[in-house]
Amino acid sequence: MKNGLALFLGVFAALALSWAGLLLTAQRQFGSLGQFKDPADDMLYPQPMSGLANQGRLVYQDLGCVSCHTQQVRREGFGTDLARKWGARGGYARDYIRDQTVLIGASRLGPDLRNAGNTELHPYADADYFYSLLYAPASGAPGSMMPAHAFLFDIHPVAGRQPSEHALKLSSKFAPGPGLEVVPTARAQALVAYLMSLKDTYDYPIERTRNAAAAEEKHGEKPKEGGK
Amino acid sequence: MNSPDNNRTEQMEIDASAKWPVLFIFAHALAWLIVGGALELAAAIQLHTPTFLATCEWFTHGRLAPAASNALVYGWGFNAAFAFGLWLMARLSATTLRHGGWLFVAAKFWNVGVFLGVAGILAGYSTSFELLEMPRFVTFLLLAAYALIGVWGVTTFSIRNTENVFASQWYLFGAAFWFPWLYAIAQIMLFRAPVRGVMQPVVNAWYVHGLYGLWFVPVALAAAYYLLPKILGKPISNYYLAPLAFWWLAITTAFAGGSRLIGAPVPVWIPTLGTVANFMLVVPVVLIGLNLFGTLAGRYASLKGSVSLRFVFISLLAFVLASALNFAFSLRDVAEVVQFTLLSSLRDWLIFYACFSTAMFGAAYFMLPRLTGLEWRSPALVKIHLGATVLGTGLLTLGLAWGGWTQGHLLADPAVGFTDLSKAMTFWFTVRTGGLALLLLGHVAFLVNFIWIAWPFDSRHTAPAQINPPPALEVLKA
Repeated sequence: MKNGLALFLGVFAALALSWAGLLLTAQRQFGSLGQFKDPADDMLYPQPMSGLANQGRLVYQDLGCVSCHTQQVRREGFGTDLARKWGARGGYARDYIRDQTVLIGASRLGPDLRNAGNTELHPYADADYFYSLLYAPASGAPGSMMPAHAFLFDIHPVAGRQPSEHALKLSSKFAPGPGLEVVPTARAQALVAYLMSLKDTYDYPIERTRNAAAAEEKHGEKPKEGGK
Repeated sequence: MNSPDNNRTEQMEIDASAKWPVLFIFAHALAWLIVGGALELAAAIQLHTPTFLATCEWFTHGRLAPAASNALVYGWGFNAAFAFGLWLMARLSATTLRHGGWLFVAAKFWNVGVFLGVAGILAGYSTSFELLEMPRFVTFLLLAAYALIGVWGVTTFSIRNTENVFASQWYLFGAAFWFPWLYAIAQIMLFRAPVRGVMQPVVNAWYVHGLYGLWFVPVALAAAYYLLPKILGKPISNYYLAPLAFWWLAITTAFAGGSRLIGAPVPVWIPTLGTVANFMLVVPVVLIGLNLFGTLAGRYASLKGSVSLRFVFISLLAFVLASALNFAFSLRDVAEVVQFTLLSSLRDWLIFYACFSTAMFGAAYFMLPRLTGLEWRSPALVKIHLGATVLGTGLLTLGLAWGGWTQGHLLADPAVGFTDLSKAMTFWFTVRTGGLALLLLGHVAFLVNFIWIAWPFDSRHTAPAQINPPPALEVLKA
């Protein structure tokens, strides 16, 4: 190879090919995936995120939660995500169009959070539970190795004031001391609103039939390969 | 084309023209290597001691970890690649590095950009997209600085005085173009005109895989293709295979990014395409192996005589191992267990550290004495660096592989709660911290030696330390 121009064109083509073949093709296929209107209740799914939850998404981004938590539920037959109650079903591409930034993550040092707010799967996970996890992880999940995010909370003296209705109910082991209360800041409230909003509960008929049909067929023929 | 005598003076002229820009950029690279290494070590400690630095919002794990990886990738990795790439391009093109003053400006801008980016991540402006975490406001700074440096490399290539274009030049030239395209496209598709839904992870995976495979791997290979024949004094074996390997590697790597999304909520053709690409990558890896290991064949004894060669050898082993891991992770049954674990982070670490960074160390041990006309001051520090790299790399490779495998199996068992899982993993996180600390020690040794060779203050005591004086070599010669 001596010709600089040929080298340049080849180098250009190598990347242009993958850009067109991978990104543009994918964008054409599902880049403009829209909400699904359920004829039964005339509602659009996935439902848009609330404003507070959307602010919480920014907090989630700024704290880098994605370093340790994924937000993707692998389907039945590929991993044990469903058995771990990380979701009621595998994730669909359509679930994610409500998220302005999609952080599916690549590391599971902590549990998956795609259905963190799905109280059908884990009824104990209410807002107080998340506050206690953020403030002092061991108070919500004993033995947890998650770092505390105490900087998301204010510690006030209660003396001479009406106690905050948002104050955390902590056991004496984790409470900051007598006469003090722990109150979530606005950022903590937004973050918890975001976490509580994470649930893929609606099952889209199109995706469900597509995924289920393939699975059934395979189950009938060679059960061991089911869902792969 | 040139007589050997001309070659010699020419090389000295080239080295003289490249000396200060290269030293300047490499000094920044080393500073980032230490800073990034310290951040990485702190983030690693947090995994087994979660209270470490937890009260400080700037150093919470979710910020520290991406700050460390960005400091290492954009600070150390890019600066080292700039310094080495510019010098090698000038040498192979048999032309001096002209108007080097601009390179100082460009490098300064790049490093200011990286500094603002890393500080931005720590301050809470992270975008949380892998290796694109730096806040949006530094993008333009980085691209502009890169443009100036990349143009220098390409211009040096285009005014070459040589008839032939050597393999290292293809890889450097390719990398010089691929990075800005990858980066600009990722920035546009994720932040300027963001795509929606799961297109975002697709773009991110394409970028990350491209950055490793089309920027760091080519620069490492350029170093190997240059240093092996140069130090061994023999041509690359089966060189006629090199062009095929280059094109095949470039085209398939560009498509392989989808393999990071196996099991993700994207249409299944995307990971499948990545799997196919990773299967096809076996061919260029074998061809490159024939080239480089073929050149080394029968000459393994020379490894004892050259530090550069030993670093390059580690780099080659890591390249093969990383390719094997890439292949293995494309198999669904393997991916099902190991994805999201330490083992899947091992692949990227192998490419970035064990393959690319060691190649840069090898290149530096070859390049810096020639640029400065001095010998390495302290052979002991060279030995510490090499020893720490060998031990640390080995420890981390085994630790991440074994630990990741354990982690994957624990994750796959729904009966194991996360508390038990974290407890079981504590040992492996500690191993990881140990490995990173070892590497950091080696880097500090290297930095001290670099300062001595780049700014030879107190030169009275500059004993002409040989690059590597093991007694075994004398025995061999005798």
